[in-house]
Amino acid sequence: MAENNLSNKIRRLRFENGEMTQQQLADKVGVTRQTIIAIEAGKYAPSLPLAFRIARVFGVSVETVFQYKDEDS
Amino acid sequence: MNRAQKISLTMVITFLLGLFLGIILIVMRLFDLGVPKIAFLLPVCIAGSGGIISITCFKKDKGAIAFDERDKLVEKNANLAGFGAVYLYVILMSFLPIVILGGEASIPVTWCPVLLIGAGFCQAFAQSIAYLIQYGWRVKDGGE
Repeated sequence: MAENNLSNKIRRLRFENGEMTQQQLADKVGVTRQTIIAIEAGKYAPSLPLAFRIARVFGVSVETVFQYKDEDS
Repeated sequence: MNRAQKISLTMVITFLLGLFLGIILIVMRLFDLGVPKIAFLLPVCIAGSGGIISITCFKKDKGAIAFDERDKLVEKNANLAGFGAVYLYVILMSFLPIVILGGEASIPVTWCPVLLIGAGFCQAFAQSIAYLIQYGWRVKDGGE
């Protein structure tokens, strides 16, 4: 389930949004805290709907939250 | 640790304890140390106790959301691992008696339910290992 090509700025965005805790973010997007931890650590790639929900919580686009690196770039 | 992890860890521990005790009893029986057949129920009970402990001790996770898309994926993969393990077990148990006892040998029919119980343990063990691997072995999850 490790997605090495996928990175994210969730941690930074949480702190920029009133030091939101992982539990608060998890409750807002409808997942468990463990899933937020796994996404932050890059161990789990969320589904598109979840990625959009996370982005909407922070009021930014999905590309701002998640970045995908190509193998050849 | 969520409920699935606790259950899996309990299952793995009790299964390994039962397996260890079972091996000791088999070795003792091989050396004619007077181990009655009924004694073999003990490792089976120990191995099976994981399920009973899990049902009685681990209640549903607290919080509004206890199960999400990641848990669903982990569960799916764990079920697949359990199925694969049973498949391998059936293949192994179909050929092992021929390899060990020879083509002309016969085995008692009482082995059939024993093999079935073995398949159940095999499935539960593989599923538990798959859960633990996917969620991560560490108790500390790096959260805040």
